[in-house]
Amino acid sequence: MITFDGTYFDGKSSRAHPVTIRADETRLIIAGAGSDLSLGIPLRDCVIQPPLGKTSRVITLPEGAQCETDDFEAIAALEQRTGRNAGLRLVHVLESRWKMAALSFAGLVVCVWVFMTFGIPFLAKKAAYAIPPAVAENLSEQTMKILDSRFLRPSKLPQRRARTLQARFKKLHENIDGKQKYWLEFRKSPALGPNAFALPSGLIIMTDELVNLSESTRELEGVFVHEIAHVRHRHGMRSVIQNAGVFLLIAAVVGDITSITSAAGSLPTLLAQSGYSRDFEREADDTVAAYFSGRGWSTKPYQNILRRITKNMANFPGESLLSSHPLTDERIRYLREREKAVK
Amino acid sequence: MFNGSAGEYFRIWIVNTFLTIVTLGIYAPWAKVRNRRYFYKNTLLDGHSFDYTANPVAILKGYLIIGAGVLLYYLTEAYDPRFSFIFVLLFYLMLPFLIYKSLRFFARNSTYRNIRFRFLGTLGSSFSTYLLYPILVPITLGLIIPHWAFEKKKFFFDNMAYGASRNSFHGRSGPFYKVYLLAVLTLFGSFFLGGIAVAIALRGMVDTLGNEGMRSFALMSVIVMYFVMLIVMTFFQQYIFAWETNYSWGQSRLDTVRFKSTLKATKLIWIRITNILAIIFSLGLLAPWARVRRTRYVLDNLTIISAQSLDDFTSAVEPDVGAYGDAATDLFDFEIGL
Repeated sequence: MITFDGTYFDGKSSRAHPVTIRADETRLIIAGAGSDLSLGIPLRDCVIQPPLGKTSRVITLPEGAQCETDDFEAIAALEQRTGRNAGLRLVHVLESRWKMAALSFAGLVVCVWVFMTFGIPFLAKKAAYAIPPAVAENLSEQTMKILDSRFLRPSKLPQRRARTLQARFKKLHENIDGKQKYWLEFRKSPALGPNAFALPSGLIIMTDELVNLSESTRELEGVFVHEIAHVRHRHGMRSVIQNAGVFLLIAAVVGDITSITSAAGSLPTLLAQSGYSRDFEREADDTVAAYFSGRGWSTKPYQNILRRITKNMANFPGESLLSSHPLTDERIRYLREREKAVK
Repeated sequence: MFNGSAGEYFRIWIVNTFLTIVTLGIYAPWAKVRNRRYFYKNTLLDGHSFDYTANPVAILKGYLIIGAGVLLYYLTEAYDPRFSFIFVLLFYLMLPFLIYKSLRFFARNSTYRNIRFRFLGTLGSSFSTYLLYPILVPITLGLIIPHWAFEKKKFFFDNMAYGASRNSFHGRSGPFYKVYLLAVLTLFGSFFLGGIAVAIALRGMVDTLGNEGMRSFALMSVIVMYFVMLIVMTFFQQYIFAWETNYSWGQSRLDTVRFKSTLKATKLIWIRITNILAIIFSLGLLAPWARVRRTRYVLDNLTIISAQSLDDFTSAVEPDVGAYGDAATDLFDFEIGL
């Protein structure tokens, strides 16, 4: 027999009735203190609301009535007996202890880390390969429209030079990846300076500034292979999906207070994004090292142009600030290592 | 009176956030109910607490439907951005319906002394408040905004009911115009003064710094301007919030019960700015503390004045309300409620 004091609300009026409650094996017996209230209710019709902090416990009765009590021990004993709320009682136990809260925090950090380093890149890769080519083409077309209207001007490169480079480019992409469509176009861009980038559709844009900066065609071939690798491994689509994934994850963690923490939340997002793009650059550089070594070429020219681009970038403050490319020295060191490893 | 403690809420928040992530979001509705219920159960009035009784399964269904909608939106946008325009249009058409549903869900699941609250607004007036007025804003060059703010408060306060007793709202839109005018003038004034100060500083800098230094300085001043703007906007928001809350409660009557809210804009601004800083510098860990602190201030300044005892309210019969609206507004983060 469990006995405790509480308050009874009939659900029809806001009046509070002080009561004494007794629970036997099958029934809850509610008796008014100083009134003629007397009820017997089968236990299986009662719902004990899950515990939460140090707030009063609520038992919901049939027909919209309820009892409230601060006698936590009695309710715990009652729950034990009926086996109710097992799941949320466990949650309550976790919530009640600082040690458990600290463990949850550690678990949260680990989960977020695992999702960011393994889960999101893995899912993004799967998703990127599942996206139909039509979507990638559409997206690339829209992006090109924006870039053409804002940052890019028609190329001023001599026709012959452009054609020679395109012929070299064709040979390269046929050797690396025969299945996908690739094509190379040139643009003049005072805004971006010496630069090259790839769109998911297989279109690779190189600026006149980069062509003029190069000292040999081999240097540009290195850049071609790098960009072809970006397309081949679907880096464009993957980074779009990954960034959306990170955003969702951060939103889920700080969900309560979106407006305030969006500023604080964007920092980890930025960090994660630059981490991802580092991985992609590395994968693209791997391809350059492997391809060049396979032909018996040195990656020296490619290293040289990377260094020259970086030096030149200093004149484009916006670019150097937003550049996702990992530090050039580190990339060059990495290329040398790869080259050695392949030999 | 608010009885919650920051430490206790921190533990609840961190455990539930962890469970949400570990279950890939499936636990999210349970977490949401526990978080909200903690605040309700710790809000005491005349010795009794409020309670939040939403069924997490209903909220989960709402999340799934809204999630499918968002996914569809992203897919169509990736395929052809023209479609996404139609989607956005559709969303704005749906918005009044979602707000209406979510207010009903929110009211129905809020109880005090086992009597449910109810929201009695109609779908029609939700459409006029949340679709017609936004359309009128550009047409009237924004002059209707204070009146719109008044209509939003009226839609909420005039349609809330505790059991069978309906709240009535006796406000007028005149005072809204006065307060918004004052706020906007102060806002423009401070921007103007701030602009002059930056211009003077820039002039001095051009002489002392070279071209190289100028570039990083320009970047710095953009960042500084951004923070100044954030602070000025906070002033504006909190001032409006304090006044609107005080006014709306002051103009409300629930049978013979009256309300008095005594929020001070300066105090709210202080709380908001220190909260933001605390959250940023603690990498989000102080968010629960910030929430408890603000809630405590807002609730401690709300007084209920009643000559009669609070024992004599009665309930009303109403069918169950779906949770779709609630989940939707939660996902898109709208300010509803108090």
